[in-house]
Amino acid sequence: MLADFINPYHLQIASFILINILLAISVYVPLSSGQLSLGSAGFMGVGAYTSALLTIHFDLPIFVGVLVGAAVAGCLGIIIGIPSLRLSGVYLAIATLGLGEVIRVIFVNWESLTKGSIGLTGIPQMGRELLKLARNVGIEPAMFGLRNNQFVYLMVFVILLILVIGTIWFVFRQQNSRIGRSFSSIQMDEKAAESMGINITYFKVLSFSQGAFLAGLAGALFAHVMGYISPSDFSYHRAVEILIFTVFGGSEVIIGSIFGAIFLTLIPEVLRFVSEYRYIIYGIMLVILMAVRPQGILDIHLLSKFKRLKRSKGGVR
Amino acid sequence: MLLEQFINGMTLGSIYAIVALGFTLVFGVLGIINMAHGEIFMVGAFVGVMTTGVLGWPLWLAFVASIVVTSILGYLLETFTLRPLRGKRGVSHLAPLISTIGVSILLENLSHHLFGAGNKPFRTEFAEMSIEIGSLTIYIVQIVIFVISIILMIGLSIWLSKTKAGKALRATAENLETASILGVDTKKIITLTVIIASAMGGIAGILVGMAFNSVSPQMGLAIGLKGLAIIILGGMGNVKGAMVGGLILGLSETFLVAYGDSGYRDAIAFIMIIVILLLRPQGIFGSKIAEGR
Amino acid sequence: MKGIFQKSFTVMVVLMLFLLTACSGSSTGDEGSTNTDGGTIQAKIGVVSYLTGAGAAYGEAITNGLKLAQSEINEQGEVNIDLVIEDSAGEAEQALSAAQKLMNDEEILAIIGPTLSTEFFAVAPEADLNGISIMGTSTTAEGIPEIGDYVFRNSIPEALAIPTAMEKAVERTGAKKVALIYGNDDVLTKSGFDTMKKAAEEMGLEIVTIETFQKGQSDYNAQLTKIKNANPDLILASALYNEGAVIMDQARKMGIEVPFVGGNGFNSPQVLEIAGEAANGLIVATPWFGESEDPKVVEFNKKFEEAYGKLPDQFAAQAYDALYIYADALKRAGEADRELFHEALAETKNFEGLLGNFSFDEIGDVVMDVKVVEIKDGKFVEFQ
Repeated sequence: MLADFINPYHLQIASFILINILLAISVYVPLSSGQLSLGSAGFMGVGAYTSALLTIHFDLPIFVGVLVGAAVAGCLGIIIGIPSLRLSGVYLAIATLGLGEVIRVIFVNWESLTKGSIGLTGIPQMGRELLKLARNVGIEPAMFGLRNNQFVYLMVFVILLILVIGTIWFVFRQQNSRIGRSFSSIQMDEKAAESMGINITYFKVLSFSQGAFLAGLAGALFAHVMGYISPSDFSYHRAVEILIFTVFGGSEVIIGSIFGAIFLTLIPEVLRFVSEYRYIIYGIMLVILMAVRPQGILDIHLLSKFKRLKRSKGGVR
Repeated sequence: MLLEQFINGMTLGSIYAIVALGFTLVFGVLGIINMAHGEIFMVGAFVGVMTTGVLGWPLWLAFVASIVVTSILGYLLETFTLRPLRGKRGVSHLAPLISTIGVSILLENLSHHLFGAGNKPFRTEFAEMSIEIGSLTIYIVQIVIFVISIILMIGLSIWLSKTKAGKALRATAENLETASILGVDTKKIITLTVIIASAMGGIAGILVGMAFNSVSPQMGLAIGLKGLAIIILGGMGNVKGAMVGGLILGLSETFLVAYGDSGYRDAIAFIMIIVILLLRPQGIFGSKIAEGR
Repeated sequence: MKGIFQKSFTVMVVLMLFLLTACSGSSTGDEGSTNTDGGTIQAKIGVVSYLTGAGAAYGEAITNGLKLAQSEINEQGEVNIDLVIEDSAGEAEQALSAAQKLMNDEEILAIIGPTLSTEFFAVAPEADLNGISIMGTSTTAEGIPEIGDYVFRNSIPEALAIPTAMEKAVERTGAKKVALIYGNDDVLTKSGFDTMKKAAEEMGLEIVTIETFQKGQSDYNAQLTKIKNANPDLILASALYNEGAVIMDQARKMGIEVPFVGGNGFNSPQVLEIAGEAANGLIVATPWFGESEDPKVVEFNKKFEEAYGKLPDQFAAQAYDALYIYADALKRAGEADRELFHEALAETKNFEGLLGNFSFDEIGDVVMDVKVVEIKDGKFVEFQ
């Protein structure tokens, strides 16, 4: 019954969507304080490798690995964030893109630790570990009428969903707090914000390292969903892909990042039947979209329109 | 060994420089980074391969064909992706970035379909000619590449500072609105800029094909990224900076391989720009303070 | 102008909606017979291949090889194979999604692919968990068949191919000093390099220099100049043919005349196409010898060129054989059942394919003879 509805393929796609949402938010947060960071792929790699190495070599539980991975990426974000304060706009974008490339090249060359381009195999997979755990306490997936792989992917999906909802909630709350307003005032006009007594250094580094933390988190989760990582997972293509999630959906609102990640992860899957042409279509789509809606699909105006529509329908308030 | 590696580095550097000139021209006038420039360069190279290899045209005609094709691409790029974004309200510096990335994805995959995925050889008699000085072999192509890059740089500098069109272009770069008030046809100037930049990409494409005998749909990305690093290195929108930056990068990559660890070759460009951005954000030759565009 | 864009936007939205519905509709296929009817066994085989992006040339060769084998097998009767081909774009996660999609289809009997070892490492454990046989046709890295019971490959591992080629090359040339060059950001070439280095050390060869290159690079002059000055008797190059051919071309131009020994991925007629005369002196160990007089090979070459306009390489040949191995196992299994098929496949012994006599060992790795070939006067010939 339940088993008929649970399709591991769909769950897998859904899991990647959730990871991509985290990545899209990791670009969105620094952008909300006016910093365009393309380093997400690099930070993601740092998180992924940290967590994978810890769980493989020290047998740490996955959640500890993930947390440490994200924390290390976040710390790196602080270290990089401070000198990057001098840069803005396109300069920051290229410098962070470069940082990502440098990190990838280090992964390739630091063979004693990362096994170079061969990558890390045998990373404990989140769902499979949970399956083992469940079996140890005597719960079999068959008790719910599920097959093993259905159980595995359902668990992965649920965990990711909880984390993503938590993250969105946090970012949303933060946005409507003093911190969030400081971010947007810096984005609007740095000098004006400074003269208002806002500590620019603190808030800019904060948002930059939050982005790095989220990317690291996403990377660590990615490692434990895939079970295998290699440096090519964190290349230029990934950095651009993540940026496009955010900009495509609309970089002014958090819902834009979420929408972008969902839509653009689905598109290549949906376009599978034209597989040979899908990237051509993808390219054309980007060009048309930017020409028609350069601010991304969703923006504040559109959202407020929706809200008004809802209100007029609801009639109350 | 030192001299040989120096020549290798200068050849590579000259190619980087020509690619970077295209980037810097567009950035200087429009203030945007044209992420599709690398792919235009790649198309230029393929036009060279097709005309000389399949159609058997002479080399000079291949150059002409490549310039024509890439100019048309430049025109299309300007008309369909850059112009719609200009002067629109609420367009951040992100939009042209994404839109040109879209074009680069499109061009890469399109040429993959048209020409196949693998490397294509570039065969010309010209590429085989060499002179020997002692134990040193120098290919004519290597000299030609260097000379062309110098000519392009000087030509561009003179054109920008001496001719009317060049002055109009600089005025446009300085301030679009003021220039148009002063009677500069900014639309025409911008189109011209993108076309010239693209044509330079086409020239660079053929030169790479001749020098390294390999052309593939993926070559645009690798060289495009290097070009990006170079314009930061030399100073955004600075013609001399692009040239010097290109040579520096070419030489340092070559010497890193020769005396260091070749595994870090792809990182050196970015390590250099990270360092330079932190020490001197305006680049080696830049005069303006780095500011967000 | 604005109107046009608005219209095109509407068109795009409509198109997207259409695609979304098309997708959800297309996944429910209505031909549902994996049973035997009229004596032929029906089976669907899933294929995950690298069809878009930088390495698409390899995926193309593989799918072409598979399609050719499919049409022949189906013509012969007995079994009727349906190929369901999915693109992985060379990315591990897309490969996993594609494989997941295939595995979830109850009618899919077994899987061939993905193309790259990086993709294979991500996909194979999942297939093993689900009890679906999976076979790599181009995955030569170490540790592949060890992933699980259901994991096989028919591509000879570098650990088998490279030392054979090196021994023969050293035997003839009497080389003592070798230089190594390899792509350090690719699993296949990196793993090939590890094998080369180990073999060179075991054979007591002096390694004069080790150079690396990266994907998408087109200038190898700096590395080659260094190698030239180190003056080796032999160059061991772990590169895929696309890069390898260009490296040879640039090396010959520079005046490096010593032979090259390459890995598995270096063996392709495309090398001749790209490097021309410069390809002379390439020595590779391979199961696939395109110039062979073997009627099977001659016929395969002819058919392949007719169908796809170019000569097959080893990727195509291995894929071609892979489907025949599957068909053979299917015949022995008697019906399209995943478990029965797996048992039959594991028992494959002395299968006479295009590439020669083929068996699986107990973990699903390759047992077969390796030929050493070299390029001489613009042609692949058997190494003497």
